Amino acid sequence: MIVGDRMFETLLIVCCLALAAYAGYAHWQLGKQRLRASEAAAELEKVQATQSQVIHTTKLASLGQMIAGVAHEMNTPIGFVKSNVEVVRDLLGEYRTLVQKCLQGFDVMLAADLSKPQTIEPLRRAMTKVRDALANDTRLADGDDLLKDSVDGLTQIANLVRNLKGFARVDRDGMDMFDLNESVESALMIAGHQLRDRIEVKKELGTIPKIRGVASQINQVLLNLITNAAQAMDDRGTLSVASRRSGDMVEVEITDTGAGIPDDVLPKIFDPFFTTKPVGEGTGLGLSIVHKIVQSHGGSIKVRTAPKKGSTFTVSFPLDHALLRQPA
Amino acid sequence: MSQTRIRVLCIDDEARILRALKALFRDMDVLTTTEPSEAIAWAAQHDVDVIVCDQRMPKMQGIEVLREVKLAHPRAMRILLTGYADLNAVLGSVNDGEVFRYIAKPWDNTELRETVQLAARIARDAPVVQDKPVDEFDRETARKQVGILVIEDDPETQQRMREILQPHYQVRFVTSPERALTVLEQHETGVVISETAGQHGDFTALIKSLKQYHPHIATVVVTDRANAQVAIDLINEGQVFRLLLKPLRMGSCRLSVDAAVGRYWQLKQNPAAAKRYFVAPRPDAQIPSWLSGSLLQRIRLLPQRLLGMARAV
Ligand SMILES: Nc1ncnc2c1ncn2[C@@H]1O[C@H](COP(=O)(O)OP(=O)(O)OP(=O)(O)O)[C@@H](O)[C@H]1O
Ligand SMILES: [Mg+2]
Repeated sequence: MIVGDRMFETLLIVCCLALAAYAGYAHWQLGKQRLRASEAAAELEKVQATQSQVIHTTKLASLGQMIAGVAHEMNTPIGFVKSNVEVVRDLLGEYRTLVQKCLQGFDVMLAADLSKPQTIEPLRRAMTKVRDALANDTRLADGDDLLKDSVDGLTQIANLVRNLKGFARVDRDGMDMFDLNESVESALMIAGHQLRDRIEVKKELGTIPKIRGVASQINQVLLNLITNAAQAMDDRGTLSVASRRSGDMVEVEITDTGAGIPDDVLPKIFDPFFTTKPVGEGTGLGLSIVHKIVQSHGGSIKVRTAPKKGSTFTVSFPLDHALLRQPA
Repeated sequence: MSQTRIRVLCIDDEARILRALKALFRDMDVLTTTEPSEAIAWAAQHDVDVIVCDQRMPKMQGIEVLREVKLAHPRAMRILLTGYADLNAVLGSVNDGEVFRYIAKPWDNTELRETVQLAARIARDAPVVQDKPVDEFDRETARKQVGILVIEDDPETQQRMREILQPHYQVRFVTSPERALTVLEQHETGVVISETAGQHGDFTALIKSLKQYHPHIATVVVTDRANAQVAIDLINEGQVFRLLLKPLRMGSCRLSVDAAVGRYWQLKQNPAAAKRYFVAPRPDAQIPSWLSGSLLQRIRLLPQRLLGMARAV
């Protein structure tokens, strides 16, 4: 019993430490990202003026979006982990009181003169009562369940932080081989707060080879497309994301059940600063960035749309040539 | 109150939040569900005292759930528990859900427990006011008796309100808290319409203090300084009746003010129900210096005769 008690306390401390560590880690990552963002911004100054302005704007927008998204997403797990840890501490306190009562009983028993039958009987009755109370008490089991949830929640927070890191690819922001499906997951996670309560997400991610590119830019492409899709669905809707290999290309398809794009709007959607959204809501840069990034990766983008039914944006990227030469 | 345990209904799409709440409220009878439709049915069936509801859920927004529950089981007090502070949700929780408190995740255990206990006590003690529209006779009487006070220094909005309200109500316009008090002292005032701030500074402290001492006066806040946190504070510390954004629309403004007059009229008939709109200042609340002295004293001493009723709380 005492050992169990200690173990709980240790677990509790571990939980608190883990929470603190993750908070510190997240903070550090964000700091690092800000540093990288400003480094990147400095680098961009060398690039052509108009181009740099466009990319700079989205970098900042996506960083802000990312932080807001992740912060919101974390409030739920932090909410129950924090509450649970506090409740478990209360439960342990109450349990300790019970154990102390039991110990007092022992002490009385040990000090009593057991040769007298008239002392034994009341003692036995008192001890039985305390024993039953202890045996039937559910606090330890309840606490155990709460801690299980808490460990879950901490894992979820850890994953969020890992995803954040993956999204920004702060560790290696350059051309590299990466998994497009991971990018999809990251972008969906970051967009989570725009989708969660009203949009059903359907994923059909195929087995696809890695492609060569700048992962953080591809993440940005997917996030912009997902954001547009979410914004096209006024009320409820379904967002489908599929990935597959198609010949020498891999493609990602993002489909919404939203407003669709009218014929007279369609030719303009990739133009910088073209937006149909109210002032202050859309910059009109989203798709022009998408276009630029996809182009620089040697890929292409297709749109299919039907008014009031929805739209599908398909981005395709070429497979690495070296990989193509290898036998499958 | 002590005869039976508090009955709380918790709704969240995250089962682990529900388990945490169940453990936190372990001395109460707790019903939990991830299904909004189930929650709406259960509220009346189990005659719950308090509802704690998440805002963002895949099937239904929290404020929609609370609006339905309010119709099905008006006795229960409604609390929104949410990790998001987006303005639309906050506005909806006032105008549709008429929530008692808006609490952020992650929450403070002690505070949440105390809020639920307070809400349960009120749900059991205070009668429910009917939301039925005031009938013709009452409306005429109300129009003659009940004044509306507008605290607003933007001439354009003033003009707009004059157009919308003057034909139907006795409306008085002021631009400062000082003048507002003078009007309140001299005329029976059922509804206060106010900006959150003006040239003379912040008005929210006045709105909150007024509610604290005179919970039956309905406040309608009309603002173009939309900010989720200010709005949340107006709920939790000011039990604001309606929150409207500028530019004012004729229809929604009329509806809100009519409803506010109706609410005041109901509470005047049934003073004990005003407890439902109970607020206390936050322990760490900073009362601005202009309010802390004589003005606060004047709010406290507003003559009951002009309010047309005995003080309820
Ligand atoms: N999935 C979609 N469904 C319907 N219309 C779309 C969709 N995606 C883009 N559009 C249209 O294309 C326009 C341009 O999109 P783009 O992403 O470039 O800018 P935006 O979304 O308006 O602004 P921002 O990306 O800065 O929020 C949009 O305003 C919208 O009219
Ligand atoms: Mg966009």
